[in-house]
Amino acid sequence: MEDLTTLKNKAIDSNLEDTIEILKKFYSVPLNQDIVIRNFSISGLDKKATVIYINSITDSEKIEEHIIRPLLTNNSTEKKLENISPAQLLNTHENFSNILQDINNGNTALLIDGEPKAYIFSSSKFQGRSVEKPLNEVVVNGPKEAFNENVIDNISLLRKKIRNENLIFESITISKNSNNVLYIVYMKDLADEKLLQNIKDRINSLDINSIQNLSLLEQYIEDKVKSIFPTILSTERPDRATSFLEDGYIVLLMDNSPDSLVLPATFWSFFHNSEDHYLRFIFGNFIRLLRLLALLITLFISALYIAITNYHVEMVPTDLLLAISATREVVPFPTIIEILMMEIAFELIREGGLRVPNPIGPTIGIVGALILGQAAVEANIVSPLVVIIVALSGLCSFAIGDMKLNFSVRLSRFLFIASAAIFGFYGMTAVLTIGIFYLVSFYSFGVPYLAPMTPKYISSKDTFFRKILKTEQYRPGYLKPKDIVKKKESQ
Amino acid sequence: MNNIKRGSLMLFFIFLIPLLSGCWDQTSIEERAYVVAIGLDKSKSDNENQIQISYIIANPEFSKKEAMTTEPPMETITFDANDINVARNKANTVVAKEISFNLLSVIIVSEELAKDKNFIRWMYDATKEREIKRDTPLIVVKEESTKFFKQNQPKLESRIHKYYDLILKYASKAGMIPNSHSNLGRYYRITQADASLFLGIYGTSEKSEYKRSEEEDNFMAGQIEIGGESNKVQFMGSAVFKEGQMIGTLTGEETRAAVLINEGLNMGSIIATYKDPFDDRYRVTTRILQKEDIKIKMDLKSPLPTIDVSIPLYIDILSQHSMVDYVNDSEKRERLKQSIEEEVTNTYNKLIKKTQEEFKGEPFGWSLIARKEFLTIKEFEDFDWMETYPEIDVNLTVKVNIGNFGNQSKVPELEEMRD
Repeated sequence: MEDLTTLKNKAIDSNLEDTIEILKKFYSVPLNQDIVIRNFSISGLDKKATVIYINSITDSEKIEEHIIRPLLTNNSTEKKLENISPAQLLNTHENFSNILQDINNGNTALLIDGEPKAYIFSSSKFQGRSVEKPLNEVVVNGPKEAFNENVIDNISLLRKKIRNENLIFESITISKNSNNVLYIVYMKDLADEKLLQNIKDRINSLDINSIQNLSLLEQYIEDKVKSIFPTILSTERPDRATSFLEDGYIVLLMDNSPDSLVLPATFWSFFHNSEDHYLRFIFGNFIRLLRLLALLITLFISALYIAITNYHVEMVPTDLLLAISATREVVPFPTIIEILMMEIAFELIREGGLRVPNPIGPTIGIVGALILGQAAVEANIVSPLVVIIVALSGLCSFAIGDMKLNFSVRLSRFLFIASAAIFGFYGMTAVLTIGIFYLVSFYSFGVPYLAPMTPKYISSKDTFFRKILKTEQYRPGYLKPKDIVKKKESQ
Repeated sequence: MNNIKRGSLMLFFIFLIPLLSGCWDQTSIEERAYVVAIGLDKSKSDNENQIQISYIIANPEFSKKEAMTTEPPMETITFDANDINVARNKANTVVAKEISFNLLSVIIVSEELAKDKNFIRWMYDATKEREIKRDTPLIVVKEESTKFFKQNQPKLESRIHKYYDLILKYASKAGMIPNSHSNLGRYYRITQADASLFLGIYGTSEKSEYKRSEEEDNFMAGQIEIGGESNKVQFMGSAVFKEGQMIGTLTGEETRAAVLINEGLNMGSIIATYKDPFDDRYRVTTRILQKEDIKIKMDLKSPLPTIDVSIPLYIDILSQHSMVDYVNDSEKRERLKQSIEEEVTNTYNKLIKKTQEEFKGEPFGWSLIARKEFLTIKEFEDFDWMETYPEIDVNLTVKVNIGNFGNQSKVPELEEMRD
């Protein structure tokens, strides 16, 4: 028996029986249950024919109605095959490898005795969710469609929002065995060629058997793998992806990923939320302010508490200081242990609450709140103020919508806690300074992380706060878009 | 191999950081004893180098909400020591926690010690201690500070730091004590500038003979008769320091006047009474506001130096028992104005005379204004403000501006009503 891999590159035989035998070997029929091989003869032409497809990923009815039945009921002897079957003829292949790939993609191969080629008809129908509401990036005001695992649906959602011939969906096969297809989406008249080439180069340099989805792909192509800060944004909202596309960003889509990747990403794209722009100018900036506040509280409040109670007692109002001191008197641990215990407990509850099966979900909230809050204080393990502080920092961290930035903030919080415990404010300031040095020092696909705040670029200046919509005239200059003006100032 | 080496080197440096740093400065919040007030007295021993120091330590337990404790709100300890700083260690023989001055609300000095010529030496110990803030008020008490502490039992403010904060805030708002004038920072600055007098807060728990006066503010602390069951401690008037040593006192009225013309100090509105020019039996109650700046003109170059001070006062009439119709009669109003102006001018003239003759220095902060008259510091120093001030001719004019006459300006005609 010939080796299957060498067979793969061979052209098919004109003898139908032989070809089918070889295909059966490829698919290990009858071990593989969902491979369908149907033999019949085309009336009129009077030829033996066989269709091969995988019935779990194809539309069987369509095959029956549009491929097989017309061939069976054909009377004409001259009609060409293309004209007999109303189904869409995609291609004809001579090579086994090509045929196999198409069958794997859910298409149907028609083999006719005496012809050394296979006719490939489109018939794919994969199972999946329909378009649903976004789960992670919830907004009150604005569209409520989210990407799903079906890339065709996702493309459709984007096309629905940008009806322009310049919107390109370029597809690349990025893995060898599983043949995962990646779609690079961009506006041809906006996106910078160099940036596009950079991304393509990075993707083409991959030599991997399988990349299941975008979350995995992200880790192969991101700039800093070990960095605490993310450099690629993922969003499950097509409206958000659209607004990035229209600014000249590049979006990646893939089957099996209910989200899209946006690159390059700056710190601001993680900090922002689509609702910021859907709400009116003042309201939108109000929630930005709240988010900034939440970010600062999450980062600093535990560290501040440690620094103040251990090194800078004179900063606390007298009454509060005495109150803290009184409640601390019965607590056996130093402040740092107290804070760390509660912070870790909170993180555990958070993680546990996420993984817990749905039916017992509510219980963990009650147990967590009860045990951590009331009982810990009553047992003199922590002081009440620490519960307030940890609860505040935990709750505030939820206000940072982006999951990746959320993780960065939650992790760097521990850095601040440690530095405050060792050096007080001095340590916190030092860590903050180093952190800012770090933030300005790295790039996402060639774009500085804090652009356009520092370094400065022409842009709509959408950083901590946004401008009035009318005055957001420019696309971000750091992307080097082909057309920087996105609207003319209206009177 | 190289990586392991680098990693261990990094670890080594990280461990080195806490060793070299100030981490050992750290003290847990609950392991400190918070001194709220420091009292300084003359030592009872013969050793001249020692003073008697009292600490009032706040009890944090008292601030706890649940389970009211039976512990007292504070603890007082008294002992002899060389200075404030060495006393911290000595205190630890009885106090279980590390002594902390972070919450220090007041420094209280007995009049006896304040008048000692060596007083300034002990005061400068406080500059060495980093935890003592420069805005800590300085209070001079008539008796020994230990006795003052013992007598000072506020009925409603059992947390003593709160008591000091609040009473100093509101007493100085009323102008009875020179609070904003009277903290350690100013004491050091004025003493070192050696040109003006420093005013400290004056208080006592001792009752002296009550003085009954028509005016409401011509008292020293201890002279006001207050009935009921309130605290025995009174704060009123100020202690005058010259060159860091106490030389005398000012009454409440004089303190108010001094604070009012001190440019550096802003006071709120104060309420004072003045003679009614139409009826000697009654006095007019007024609220005094200072809406415009005081104008001070100095001529120091001439052989007879002069200072012209013009004080604009804005006065609201709050009550007038004489029931004179000032509102509709501009002539009567004019007389009231003149009468108040006269009275205020008189007060000031008396005060200035007292400072020139008794204290031989001024507590009004004028030396700062005088500096502007000279081109160099040396010229100012040669002029010797402190020495020259008693000879300077101070011309003081008061301009009263009468504002409104209370919520309802009209008063009924008593004669007609009684008919």
